[in-house]
Amino acid sequence: MTTGVSTNQRVRGASAPFDVAFVARWLRGAAAQIASHRDFLTQLDAAIGDADHGVNLDRGFSAVGSVVDAADGLPPGELLVQAGSTLVLRVGGAAGPLYGTALREAGRSLGSRRTFGAAELADALDAALDGVISLGAAVEGDKTMVDAWVPAIRALRAAGSAPPAEALRAAAAAAEAGAAATTPMEARKGRASYLGPRSVGHQDPGATSTALLFLALERAAG
Amino acid sequence: MSDPRRSTIQSVDRAARILKALASGPPRSGVSELAERLGLAKTTVHGLLRTLERQSLVEQDTETGKYRLGPEMLQLGNAFLDHHELRGRSLLWADTLANRVGEAVRVGVLHGRRVLIVHHVFRPDDSVQILEVGASVPWHVSALGKVHAAALPNDRRRTLLAGALPQLTGRTITDPHVLALGLEEIARAGFATEEQEAVIGEAEVAAPVFDHRGHPVGAIGVAGPAERVMPRGPSDAVVVAVLDTARRLSREMGAPRRHDARPHAPRPRAEAG
Repeated sequence: MTTGVSTNQRVRGASAPFDVAFVARWLRGAAAQIASHRDFLTQLDAAIGDADHGVNLDRGFSAVGSVVDAADGLPPGELLVQAGSTLVLRVGGAAGPLYGTALREAGRSLGSRRTFGAAELADALDAALDGVISLGAAVEGDKTMVDAWVPAIRALRAAGSAPPAEALRAAAAAAEAGAAATTPMEARKGRASYLGPRSVGHQDPGATSTALLFLALERAAG
Repeated sequence: MSDPRRSTIQSVDRAARILKALASGPPRSGVSELAERLGLAKTTVHGLLRTLERQSLVEQDTETGKYRLGPEMLQLGNAFLDHHELRGRSLLWADTLANRVGEAVRVGVLHGRRVLIVHHVFRPDDSVQILEVGASVPWHVSALGKVHAAALPNDRRRTLLAGALPQLTGRTITDPHVLALGLEEIARAGFATEEQEAVIGEAEVAAPVFDHRGHPVGAIGVAGPAERVMPRGPSDAVVVAVLDTARRLSREMGAPRRHDARPHAPRPRAEAG
């Protein structure tokens, strides 16, 4: 499958460019992004939630770091399942069950394969989103993390056979735009929905942390 | 039943609609926006706004000319809370309950199809929490709402079950038949639980409060992380503390003894796994 392709990027893009080292880079990068945006996420959550999003996620993703350290030899799917279970256990509030389920479903979707391509990655992210939706019953426009997940996966699919780094850059940009687009929305799910119209004018913290995860995904490929 | 619009004053009704529109729409609205939203003439809306402004119930932004709610609204809201008997009597009991179980406590009353939170004591730790007083939640996603509904006469229960039952999480119960059976079980047990039906990761256990006539006036409950409040079914310590508090609070409201929440009532079997 990799013959006749001119650049290294193309070679990697055309076959199965992702492995457990990629997933490990992603999770470590996500932990770093969450850590450096911890206070920002907490501020966003203080406006419309209970101000624990940044702190909780940071605690959970720090714990994921030690799972990643012990990941040698694991299939990438298994690493994601273990990371997800850690998040469920370590992160309180809604974020733990949501991100934990997302990573576990993505991991299950990858199964026991050692390497995977862009299509399998998009399938895994779809499975993650399905997990999030089944827990939260949110749809696009409800001012939740779904508003970042859906456009990101849509952009990834739309990128088709583009090099993975490029496709993931488009996905990360779409996730960020999706998070920004939650600002004028009125929350219809989660605690922010208690506030009704008062939730308008604040960016959703969950959509924001999802955008950070997609940013980490882009950096892991680049 | 007589037409509710008869023997009411149209301009007062319109002024109230303006206040509600300002409370539920964008933070600031112009005269034409409001006129369009309410289906009224611009001159009418303008006159009403000027009158409300004189009473400090609305105020006009000097730069944009748009209107927003005025400071007097907060005074009115506070007066409502100050005069709310259940809230007033629950202040000390709620503090005691929060300290006893180490979780947040909320007091709520059914208002239409929603539960209005009239008192909220933060979880007694140093975490940042937001005050939910004044927030309202659909009745069927809240243990406070379900336990209040379960204590109501059948016709009022049926009305609640017949209306819209929005889904807030994947675990929200939206089937009226399932909810109806749940309310019967709640009425038998004397308390209600809610696990991740309103907010993912959160749970609540609540018991009803009755007044001197033995009518339900609201509910008090403990809210917190699902794994602490509902570890494989409701935590025994939380259930006992909530029932005990609701019973004492009902007593203080003058409730006859037969309307005590029952601390030793059989409770729903904990779900396995």
